[in-house]
Amino acid sequence: MNDPRTARLIEIVLRCYPARWRRRHGDEAGELAALLVRDGTPAGSIALSYLAGAAREWLAPRPGRPLTMVACALLVAVCSLGVSAGLLGSAGAARAASTSEQRERVHCRPVSPGPVPDVIPALNRPPLIIGKARHGRSC
Amino acid sequence: MIRRDGRAGQDVLRRVGEASVLILISLADGPKHGYVLIQDIKELVGVELGPGTLYGALDRLERLGLIEPLPADDRRHPYRITAPGAAALRVHLDSLERVSAAGRLRLQLGGI
Repeated sequence: MNDPRTARLIEIVLRCYPARWRRRHGDEAGELAALLVRDGTPAGSIALSYLAGAAREWLAPRPGRPLTMVACALLVAVCSLGVSAGLLGSAGAARAASTSEQRERVHCRPVSPGPVPDVIPALNRPPLIIGKARHGRSC
Repeated sequence: MIRRDGRAGQDVLRRVGEASVLILISLADGPKHGYVLIQDIKELVGVELGPGTLYGALDRLERLGLIEPLPADDRRHPYRITAPGAAALRVHLDSLERVSAAGRLRLQLGGI
């Protein structure tokens, strides 16, 4: 692979496979990825295919891997996804809240301040200036 | 594992997935390694197998005794179809032919 980033990506994805699989297919899989990239296959799709293969490899029940272990792996994967989704959700909510707060601040900015009519300024004092908000609420 | 006598009674390939069947068809005319398998299947049926799918299917077929690895050539591991693999492929292709014929007949009868 000419592009070091692509080579690194494939290397990382191949590390997701169990050690037994890597010992058997690792070298060939790396070479195959390089050949496919050379033929014009997008590196991302190769990486995705290997990633899906790695997931299947971990989740498939094998003689040395009882079904309970597979169930545990599945549970861990689901929990990780749930935590990630939760983090993403809370980050999104925080961003939304921050945006609406900023909007509120913009909304509350007073219009050009000026002297309030019908108020007689006291002698030797600057005129009283009251900012007018664009909405009826106090802010 | 299917019977070694080559008389596979049932269609064991029905549940192994399309990729595995395509790999067996590709290996039917001689041993091949991963890259050549992907190229051959692409030329044969226009399906581009992903490398992750390929290795998963190769491992499954090997566990079933339908293919076997040959000594590695550099880093490449060629595979060849076994006698039970060839028998299973015949049974599966016969089954597909029956389904195909039945489907065509129904279309003819329906006048579509």
